[in-house]
Amino acid sequence: MEFVAQTILNGLMTSSFYALIAVGLTLVFGVMHIVNFAHGEFYMVGAYTVWVLYALCNWPFFVAVGVAVVLVGLLGVIAERVIFRPVQGNVISGFIISIGLVFILQVFVVKVWGVGKMKPVPAAFPEILNIWGVSTSWQRFIVVPATILFLWLLWVFLGRSGLGRALRASALDSEAASLQGISINKTAAMAMLIGSAMAGAAGALMAPIMSVHPYMGHSVIWTAFVVVIVGGAGNIKGTVLAALLFGFLHTVITTLLDSTIANLVSALFMLIFLAIRPQGLAGYAEK
Amino acid sequence: MLRNNLSKAIGLTVLAIILVALPFALREYYVDVVTMLLINVILVVSFRLITTIGAWSLAHIPMMGAGAYATALMTGALGWPFWLTLPLAGLAAALIGLAMSYPLVRTKGFAFFVASFAAGDAMRLCWMRFKVPFGGHRGLTNIPFPEAIPIPGLRTIDFSDAIPYYFLALVVTVLCLLIMYRLDKSRIGDTLKAINSQDSLAMSVGINITQYKILAFVIGSFFAGIAGVLLAHRLWAVEPQQFGFGTTVYLLVWVVFGGTHTFAGPIIGVTVLTVLGELLDPFVEWVPMIYGAILILTLLFLPDGLEGLPRRLAWLGKVKISFEMRPGEIRQPVGLPGELREPSS
Amino acid sequence: MGILELSGLVKNFGSLVAVNNFDLSIDEGEMRGLIGPNGSGKTTVFNLITGFIRPTRGKVMWQGHDITNQSPDAIAKKGIARTFQLTTLFKDMTALQNLVIASHLHTETGLFQQFSRTARARKKKREIEERALCLLETMGIADVKDEIAGELPHGHQRALGIAIVLATEPRLLLLDEPVSGMNLTETRDTMDRIKMLRDRGITILLVEHDMRAVMHTCEKITAMNFGEKIAEGTPEEISGHEEVIEAYLGGRLDLCLTAS
Repeated sequence: MEFVAQTILNGLMTSSFYALIAVGLTLVFGVMHIVNFAHGEFYMVGAYTVWVLYALCNWPFFVAVGVAVVLVGLLGVIAERVIFRPVQGNVISGFIISIGLVFILQVFVVKVWGVGKMKPVPAAFPEILNIWGVSTSWQRFIVVPATILFLWLLWVFLGRSGLGRALRASALDSEAASLQGISINKTAAMAMLIGSAMAGAAGALMAPIMSVHPYMGHSVIWTAFVVVIVGGAGNIKGTVLAALLFGFLHTVITTLLDSTIANLVSALFMLIFLAIRPQGLAGYAEK
Repeated sequence: MLRNNLSKAIGLTVLAIILVALPFALREYYVDVVTMLLINVILVVSFRLITTIGAWSLAHIPMMGAGAYATALMTGALGWPFWLTLPLAGLAAALIGLAMSYPLVRTKGFAFFVASFAAGDAMRLCWMRFKVPFGGHRGLTNIPFPEAIPIPGLRTIDFSDAIPYYFLALVVTVLCLLIMYRLDKSRIGDTLKAINSQDSLAMSVGINITQYKILAFVIGSFFAGIAGVLLAHRLWAVEPQQFGFGTTVYLLVWVVFGGTHTFAGPIIGVTVLTVLGELLDPFVEWVPMIYGAILILTLLFLPDGLEGLPRRLAWLGKVKISFEMRPGEIRQPVGLPGELREPSS
Repeated sequence: MGILELSGLVKNFGSLVAVNNFDLSIDEGEMRGLIGPNGSGKTTVFNLITGFIRPTRGKVMWQGHDITNQSPDAIAKKGIARTFQLTTLFKDMTALQNLVIASHLHTETGLFQQFSRTARARKKKREIEERALCLLETMGIADVKDEIAGELPHGHQRALGIAIVLATEPRLLLLDEPVSGMNLTETRDTMDRIKMLRDRGITILLVEHDMRAVMHTCEKITAMNFGEKIAEGTPEEISGHEEVIEAYLGGRLDLCLTAS
């Protein structure tokens, strides 16, 4: 029984983590029809920001997180303007050009702070949380309420605000939206701002738990892609569902076997899933 | 027409002479560099073959790995001779490609990217995870070099040396290029390009698109496997890290930089960048960043890659180039790499 | 039983009903017109017949066999060919190459032969090219055989589009607005060619907006609106049919059946 509770807890935390990263990615894809491979590096920049500000400069944890979120969001906006806008609409070029960005960010970080030993970030909340009879640290758990908060804010924004509706319209049909006066460039910038900020948030929150190093983005990005694809690229609800699915799948298999096999199973699962239902969970047809 | 053919023949002869004389003029280290270049040429041209159908396969490097691991296991555990394992390992890669193509062929665009990566990486994870038979993280070592060929009257050709291996790679590369070139110019090649151009029209004249996609993928994987075999028997070892995404990125940069619309484009791209890589050797930590910049700059300013350069320069009015279309030559759609056209229905 | 039978065809796109309970029966050798205002579902019917779209309900029967959910290339193999509304060609190939590709169904050679240089392969290749040239001559555009299709003048592109379709040697030809945008002379030439095809025994289903083209050439006409059949009959019957008139103009149709 305790084992089940622990697994559920772990699964929840993993799923939240996946969701936070994948939803940002799917939002960007839904609006811009471009896949930002550097999303993983944005996650990394968020983690490094917290390391520098919180671990090195001793700023309060949440302030550091806040700065990370804003910083990475802005980074996303700049990326949109400089490298994504010229290749608007071309999925493959957008993907490849973002790979270029990956390398630039990675080398930059390596040059400034070096590679090698992981940067340790002390836990901001070392207290133990007891829930359902099992325990974990608040530091690990915090990603769950944070993700819920972000998703709720996103839901409110997309549903209720004028800007949010413009974003949704743009995602559905960019031509029609632009005919209605919605600026494609503006919605693209907004999507990148929000999506990248979410990646930065994920990195910032996970910095004390994960190993912080220049290549940490690589390990999360492919899982994020798989979640986005299975969820239905561009569909937020589907992505959240897929995040839960893969979060629990990965947790269970890692607990029973090991993480390499978990990655293997996730990959195979995705392939089989795509063979049966290429549109993903949400039925969003690939545009 | 005749003058064109003559200049082509002269050009090829000169190239042949250079290729044959080269290893004797270089230090051994550089002979190996050129050998690697030849292997990479097979890699990029086979990758480009798959792109003629609009697919950018991120499983291509793992396919090279499949060939490498296959030959390592066949010559190692099974003790078969290299001359047998060369085609067989290629075949193994082709079969794996066939198996992969079933889920892959139903995906498009971004989903195809991720799915092809996942398929390739799943294979790589297997190599990493299972010490038996793949050697796990360490991989497989002690891969034998190809059996020596004794030439009666002269000496024995020993393939553990750089120069003989270079010629082996050269012969294999030329053969592979010949086959792929003929394929590209044949009706199969035309059909692939037609599918990429207008797939609904292709379907309505009775072309089974799925079959052709699978064909392109399988053939491309076969040659990637061949490249892997050549790699394995020169390095005498294989390990999973060699076939990860980092290598795939190099492949993408070579191909994007050189261009995919012509047969020669990727070859030019990989050659130029390999030379560049050697020149930049003292700055090796900066190389990924430079490659990243090249990728971005190419896509922004020279979307067809190097092969599009004459056209661009002519357009800028700086160089006057006569760009004739000869009947029978198919010009592939000019545009950003992989402009996938969705069925118009 | 006609050679082509559509029964109870329904196609919904989400909540949009594009085709509603559509029946159609075409006899062999017939030349049938399918008319209707824009958005009435004509092209959707085409797509349903040729396998580009799956129907929500209903059946498509061809020569007595159910072809409802088959893929477009399988249907092409069975002898149904179609044109597309916007001229669809392999734009970067020459006219001749377009037809070589289009001859795919009738030029099956093995994988090996397709790229070998044996005498037999070369002979095959010549045969294919001769056949392609013949088709170009039939459509009167043999002189542009080595021109890039995308650069041909519009009329030539249309002709090439029809030649491509003919290369498949269809028994049923679905023409999607073949004369739209053409002037009087071009329209007459094209319709004459189409009639020639019918005389050769090809069954033809013609979707067209231009009433004159349809009225002059088709023996029977089916009229659609809002995804449903609203009338079916001879050109005279259709031109006098109230609902058809309303659907198009909301008034009397001046069809000038006798004018040129």
